[in-house]
Amino acid sequence: MKTVTAARILGVSVSMLALVGAMPVQAAPSGVLVIAENETPENLDPANAVNSTVNQLLVGVYNTLVQFPAGKTAVEPQLATDWDISEDGKTYTFTLRDDVTFHDGSPLTAADVVFTLDRLQAASAAVMNDMGPYAGADAVDDTTVKLTLDAPFGPFISALSRIYIVSKAMVEPHMGDDNARGWLAVNDAGSGPYQVNSYAPTEAVSLTAYDNYWGGWDGDHVAEVLFRYVSEPSTQMALLRSGEVHIAPDITVEDKQSLMDTEGFAVDIGAAATPLFFQFNTASEGPTGDPAFRKMLAQTFDRQLHLDIVLAGFGTLPDGPLPPDWMGHVSGTELPFDLDAARAMVEENGWDGTELTVRYLPGIQEETSAVEQLQSNLSQLGITLNAEGMTWPAQAATVTDVATTSDINMIYNFPTFPDPHAILNTTFNSANSGANGGYNWAQYSNPEVDALLNEAASESDPAKRAELYGQVQELIGQDHVVITVSLPGSVVAMSDKVKGYIYNAAHHQTFNYWNISVN
Amino acid sequence: MAYILQRVAFSALSLFVLVFITFLLSHVVPGDPAIAAAGPNAGAEKIAALRTEMGLDEPFVTQFLIYCGNILQGDLGTSWFTHQPILDDLLRELPPSLELVVIAMVINLAISLPVGLLTARYNGTTFDDIVRLFAMAGAGLPIFWTAILLQQSFAADWQLFPVAGRIGFEYRAFEGITGFYLLDSILRGRPDVFFDVLSHLILPAFALSLLFTAVGVRITRTSMIGEFRKDYVTLARAKGAGEGRIMFRHVFPNGATPSLTVFGMQFGWMLGATVLVEEIFGRPGIGRYAVKAVTQSDIHGVVAVVFVVGLVFLLANLAVDMTLYALSPRKRAEG
Repeated sequence: MKTVTAARILGVSVSMLALVGAMPVQAAPSGVLVIAENETPENLDPANAVNSTVNQLLVGVYNTLVQFPAGKTAVEPQLATDWDISEDGKTYTFTLRDDVTFHDGSPLTAADVVFTLDRLQAASAAVMNDMGPYAGADAVDDTTVKLTLDAPFGPFISALSRIYIVSKAMVEPHMGDDNARGWLAVNDAGSGPYQVNSYAPTEAVSLTAYDNYWGGWDGDHVAEVLFRYVSEPSTQMALLRSGEVHIAPDITVEDKQSLMDTEGFAVDIGAAATPLFFQFNTASEGPTGDPAFRKMLAQTFDRQLHLDIVLAGFGTLPDGPLPPDWMGHVSGTELPFDLDAARAMVEENGWDGTELTVRYLPGIQEETSAVEQLQSNLSQLGITLNAEGMTWPAQAATVTDVATTSDINMIYNFPTFPDPHAILNTTFNSANSGANGGYNWAQYSNPEVDALLNEAASESDPAKRAELYGQVQELIGQDHVVITVSLPGSVVAMSDKVKGYIYNAAHHQTFNYWNISVN
Repeated sequence: MAYILQRVAFSALSLFVLVFITFLLSHVVPGDPAIAAAGPNAGAEKIAALRTEMGLDEPFVTQFLIYCGNILQGDLGTSWFTHQPILDDLLRELPPSLELVVIAMVINLAISLPVGLLTARYNGTTFDDIVRLFAMAGAGLPIFWTAILLQQSFAADWQLFPVAGRIGFEYRAFEGITGFYLLDSILRGRPDVFFDVLSHLILPAFALSLLFTAVGVRITRTSMIGEFRKDYVTLARAKGAGEGRIMFRHVFPNGATPSLTVFGMQFGWMLGATVLVEEIFGRPGIGRYAVKAVTQSDIHGVVAVVFVVGLVFLLANLAVDMTLYALSPRKRAEG
């Protein structure tokens, strides 16, 4: 990190504040919150905030125009105080707060918002993938910014919740020939409550409270947040028990269960919205290309058993691809588990002796267990399921061509915001097929579904959108494209000294550390 | 002199072959770096554009030649996921790994050499049998398993050592100079930091060294037994030399030579195996960096790690060769 000395001086001043904070009168941030994380971050660049390991650091370092508060499925103002959408749905005009300063003390203005978006576009940033037909940004005056689209896009306002605004003054001198990717990868240029104090990506990242944060520091907050990169679940558990870390999200399900009844610890179960799918290769020349065969397959997985045993009850029973409490969810679109019905179909069609292949990530316990259950159920029907465990890049490479896509692929969907578009369009639009580099690994192509998804995306009336997404779910249910295996809960184990943690489905695998205190 | 030059030239050639094979394998292994870099929901167009930008459209041979040209200029490229010069990344990750390997090697030598010598001297006794049994068992223990076992007992349960990390929480603001914290703490005159860093190294280093020590003991024992049977030992005994003098003055220097070659190679192997203990003990280092590079399909990152580990391996072997050369009058005469 750049200003290590300054950071240390800050560290000293913060600990002095901490002493003052011990007196009940003043509520300055005090203490350290230590969070364990199993994956190391790639960089600190907001361009890469779709990655949860990166996002969990940035979410309190940067601000966005609008943001999803934890537990909400609608955005609320953050940097923008209010906004106006034009009649044709193609122009969004935001009014900005005038009291926001970046971590270098300079004020945030509309020019910073424009610079941020221009840079992300020039850098082909991954966060721009969800911005739909976004066209450009203009600063009307210091506190007014206008974003324009080529076509109306319903989820646009939601997508802005990952567009972290950077300081033009801080970033512009480092643009170079890589659009400042190298500089922002290890430096912060944000306006959020915390600033990056030190960055050692395979070891630990330290964030410290920004004294002049526009939101103020009322209430209890920590002076420093330390992320420690510990990949081994048993190590995380040992650190949690010894008090060296306060939050350990990646310990085993068994350990989480045991901590629920252990004095001194708490286990939070967040209603996550990250469905796990078995995706059938619908474009296959083989058996899964036949809708009748897929109808049989769709009835061979016991979701309730999976939830009870594999997830130890930590999760929601899926009812179709969308989480049940989301806008537009329709019940009963996927066939329930019915091995007898499946057996009757196998006998009727002579599918006995069929061989299928499923590809999955064996490093993920839930995927391995689900594959084993499917294998066992199918073997009862005389169908052999070959399980091929792979690494993520290898599995992703196999689906870039229909011919090399296996009969069944396992994949999680991590929606970047809680909107049906983020799950349905990603998984079922033919524009996002594996062959097009997307996550529709079923290679599913139904023009009717595509048309409905595109219409829903360009519609701004929520009621109309909900209805269109309902039709989409009916159609993909009839085509038996996937089995939605589970909606696993976000289970986070922590010390009972930690107060204020709330799971946020719009920022999966992150922590609202700016609102957490440690007793 | 000719001998030294020959060794250096051979090492350089080995390194080139290593880089070529790694580069080739990285291209054969499935995985599209452009898809990884583009992120979810990127769309075919964006992925194609990135593929061109990253130079992945070029034929394999062209990519390799460009890469070799850059390496010769000391440029290992820019990582596709950290967006930093890979050299900078490695200079940050290498010291903690090397520090771990050096301590593991010290443990290895401190056990292997004396135990190997003594078992050779008392060859066939109960002592020899017990050591051989342990060596056999030790050679079969997987490193990650030993690491978890040591951690859960010595650190988690008995709290004799820290559970994980490289440096204690209270010293997290410690600023290094070279990146080797043991050295840095001495340079900064901080004995408290030195012992804290050392305490963080003991368990991982021991876990890493155990398998190698088991091999080291056996190799040393075998070569020492050979020495004890030689005529000059009988002659020395006949002349009335004490057993201590025979063991340490005569047998040890001669018998250590073949073991030294093995220890040189072990140094490189250890560096390649650090990932196992780094993951379990939550330590930074080149192993964890390599894992991240592989999962991100960062070809240049992977090749650079292999290059550096290979370089250290060859340098360690070269150092051993030079030492043996300096020690051996026969080789000097041939040279």
